[in-house]
Amino acid sequence: MVDTTKNIKMYTTYGTKSAKPVQPKISAKLISKAKRPLLVVSSAVLDEELLKRAVSIAKKTGMQVAATSTSIKGFLNEDVKAKYINIHALATYLGDVNWTGLDGEGHYDLIIVLAHKKYYINQVLSGLKNFTDLTTLSIDRHYLQNASMSFGNLKPEVHLEALDELIENL
Amino acid sequence: MSKISTGSFSIEELENVQITIGSIVGAIEKKAEDEGEMGPTPKPGISGLRDWDHKLLNRYEPVYTPMCDQCCYCTFGTCDLTGNKEGACGIDMKTHQAREFLLRVITGAAAHAGHGRHLLHHLIETHGADHPIDVGPTNIKAPVIQTVTGIKPETIGDLEPVLDYVEEQLTQLLATIHAGQEGAAIDFESKAMHGGMIDHVGMEVSDIAQISCLGMPKADSEAPLAEIGMGSIDSTKPVLLCIGHNVAGVTYIMDYMEEHDLTDKIELAGLCCTAIDMTRYQMDNGGTPTAKIVGSLAKELKYIRSGIPDVIVVDEQCVRADVLQEAQALSIPVICTNEKIMYGLPNRTKDDVDDILNDLASGKEAGALVLEFEKLGELAPRLVMEVAPIRKEKGITALPTDEEFKELTNKCVHCLVCEMACPMNLPISDAMTAAADGDLTPFEILHDKCIACGRCEQECPKDIDILNVIEKASQKVIREEKGMMRAGRGQVSDPEIREEGVNLVLGTTPGIVAMVGCSNYPDGTKDLYDIAKEMLKRSYIVVVSGCTAMDLGMYKNEEGKTLYEEFSGSFLKGNLLNVGSCVSNSHITATTIKVAAIFAQRNVTGNFEEIADYVTNRVGAVGIAWGAYSQKAASIGTGCTRLGVPVILGPHGSKYRRALIGKPYDSDKWSVYDARNGEELAIPAAPDYLITTVDNAEEIMPMLAKSCIRPTDNNMGRMIKLTHYIELSKKYLGIMPDDWHTFVRTETDLPLAKREELLKILETEHGWEIDWKKKKILSGPTMKFDVSAQPTNLKRLCKEA
Ligand code: SF4
Ligand code: SF4
Ligand code: SF4
Repeated sequence: MVDTTKNIKMYTTYGTKSAKPVQPKISAKLISKAKRPLLVVSSAVLDEELLKRAVSIAKKTGMQVAATSTSIKGFLNEDVKAKYINIHALATYLGDVNWTGLDGEGHYDLIIVLAHKKYYINQVLSGLKNFTDLTTLSIDRHYLQNASMSFGNLKPEVHLEALDELIENL
Repeated sequence: MSKISTGSFSIEELENVQITIGSIVGAIEKKAEDEGEMGPTPKPGISGLRDWDHKLLNRYEPVYTPMCDQCCYCTFGTCDLTGNKEGACGIDMKTHQAREFLLRVITGAAAHAGHGRHLLHHLIETHGADHPIDVGPTNIKAPVIQTVTGIKPETIGDLEPVLDYVEEQLTQLLATIHAGQEGAAIDFESKAMHGGMIDHVGMEVSDIAQISCLGMPKADSEAPLAEIGMGSIDSTKPVLLCIGHNVAGVTYIMDYMEEHDLTDKIELAGLCCTAIDMTRYQMDNGGTPTAKIVGSLAKELKYIRSGIPDVIVVDEQCVRADVLQEAQALSIPVICTNEKIMYGLPNRTKDDVDDILNDLASGKEAGALVLEFEKLGELAPRLVMEVAPIRKEKGITALPTDEEFKELTNKCVHCLVCEMACPMNLPISDAMTAAADGDLTPFEILHDKCIACGRCEQECPKDIDILNVIEKASQKVIREEKGMMRAGRGQVSDPEIREEGVNLVLGTTPGIVAMVGCSNYPDGTKDLYDIAKEMLKRSYIVVVSGCTAMDLGMYKNEEGKTLYEEFSGSFLKGNLLNVGSCVSNSHITATTIKVAAIFAQRNVTGNFEEIADYVTNRVGAVGIAWGAYSQKAASIGTGCTRLGVPVILGPHGSKYRRALIGKPYDSDKWSVYDARNGEELAIPAAPDYLITTVDNAEEIMPMLAKSCIRPTDNNMGRMIKLTHYIELSKKYLGIMPDDWHTFVRTETDLPLAKREELLKILETEHGWEIDWKKKKILSGPTMKFDVSAQPTNLKRLCKEA
């Protein structure tokens, strides 16, 4: 078992509210329980090892993937529900209760983020944290203060282990 | 002193009276009024263009991504605004973020306007207020100034009332930042747009003044090439490094060097926009720039640490706050030349040059403040000649020796603290491991991505000077960092607009891509080259300025040619234009104004709203600030958006706290009026943002093509734009864009080679009716194509209205 909650050191801060550190098993439970979860990935997912795991998560849960940036290239030949969208546009639509989602079937209740530039996704999460009621879960390898829940800072190899554990528990 | 109103008057029987005419107040505006061409909003105040802003903001809504959840503006605070809570003064998070954004914008605008004021004072003193404005072949010498203020300046003295207006507006805007002022986010946004527009006025003042007085290229498509890159500097010569944005003082150094036969003996190098303007100085009649460009802000600390500069001269803007400390550690004397940066140094302005020289050369003083340019001109070259031999003999540098390098890389305990402190989270630890094993490649890759901020070094528990390690490891690639940049050409001329305007408005030239701004790139400098090259090959007009113009010139094709050598520099499809430095960005907005004025014969004088409406609906232009970091970039971008030019930022741009993004699925937002009859006209959801960010250079490519689609495209134009949109999306994202069909009005909008295939998709996937015999679309499109439709957002411009 990997402890993903140990290192939540921050080098700069957004304010008083910080993501709750979360373990892989609990993350899996949250995802499994969600009615309309959305997995938001970015270009860093094109790393072979990360991609494998992102695809597994999407396949096992059947959840929609918001493939931001060039990440869509990783899902073209996979049997997953993936759609390209620019992340700043996505952040905007997520804040609109009238948006019907990437598949037209309704809004989402859990946003899971993986494989992003840390500084970029923290901004997106900052918008969601301050102006929406959405629950956001980061399973990325950096502690993301602006998520509702987040893995702590992890070395790359430990991060992969944590994702495996999450997948096992889905 | 009494004021005399406009008109003629006579004075009789005066003896021994000296009459001084300071300025003829309002004379130019009066002339425009008399000629019946003054538009409705000369010199608008804060609320003057508010209706226009609200129209834009209705379609493109502000999206806030706070950088800090707290406010500490006043002593009621600190207030925690998390979750859009209100602070003690009643302001909520959204409104506070809008206020923060406004503050960024007016800070940037003030930097340009302050620069402009300093420059103008100086140039009026040296050249006289009646020195004519000469920016090349044009009837509209100052398009932005004329559109915003209604003033048509003829001399540099005419620019003074323009700056008076800019300064007044900036003061009024700054006042609204105070606690207890504006309470609506949307009106802070409108104010931000005002600040952005004002910024372009201030920039235009600065650049046309220096173009007119300092012999800079005047709308010259063949402006000379200048050398650029850390590897292009001849470090065997005494190296004089100038850093900043205001070239006024440096021109005295250049003149002194010329007069004293020192130009060949001293290597004059520059960082940031001062460097760009050094290569423009006295180049209006051709020649080869002798000054060389080191690069952008990202090279500043790297270059100082190399120890190569023998003397550093700083002026203003984007200069690191620690230049003096860093330089002092390497015995490099620093001369401050501008009140904006004085580093606590003694003011030696009134002292004898020999005395200052002795104090600096002997190391008695680390630096000096010298505000008198004549003295600076003499001091800097003499000083560098004196200290260089001593410094070079000692071989002073901050970079480790081979031995020390080994020790440092072995000292790393791979705690990853540096990586977490690094703004880019660069993989430093793995590079240390590789270097310890003798492989320098990972560090060489880091070198280009590293912005030389030094944050990593401050956190390393082992006190490793990480930046020095990166730079030591990259010596080989640094030596090869040699490129070319075409010196800034200034404005686009009237004849060029006459030739190209029609292609732009009809869409047969697929668009203008303006690449501007600073060096906070997400993945190094090469992206700029890749983006520009892709769009140039597709016949877009690529306009560049500032740091982007520099970094673009660092890469070469297989034949060893930079983009500047590969593509011509006119305002024509498939050309690459460098307009110049930061303040030259005003020429980019000016170009779109000129299209309205020259191609469409619109009156621009004091007529901002109508011109912005024209640009919004007809001119397919998009801005990229790929490495935007500064407040100036925020104001430049915001000025573009008020005029209807959308702007895409790199991912760091999300830290500006707000974007303006539309919702293509909200069909109510995507219609305009037809000026012929006032009827509503559906328009495509492109651009679907006014300012936004993207993750990487590949993602931006299809977005650029889509961003240039405009309601007025003719069939050929729409076909060309759609072709690029689809091709770029397939090439860089591997997918057919999911909204391509929303831009199709008739079958003739479809790319010729793919027409059948696309008609099939329209039929099967989107349920459109196709007449296969005639290969015609029978039903499906939400928009009609009408070549004579006159799209406008302004009801008042409609015939029926
Ligand atoms: S300005 Fe308002 S929100 Fe900010 S510290 Fe003062 S009371 Fe609080
Ligand atoms: S902080 Fe220092 S010791 Fe730690 S990984 Fe970075 S360079 Fe190595
Ligand atoms: S100096 Fe370079 S490596 Fe160090 S923190 Fe800054 S960007 Fe990162």
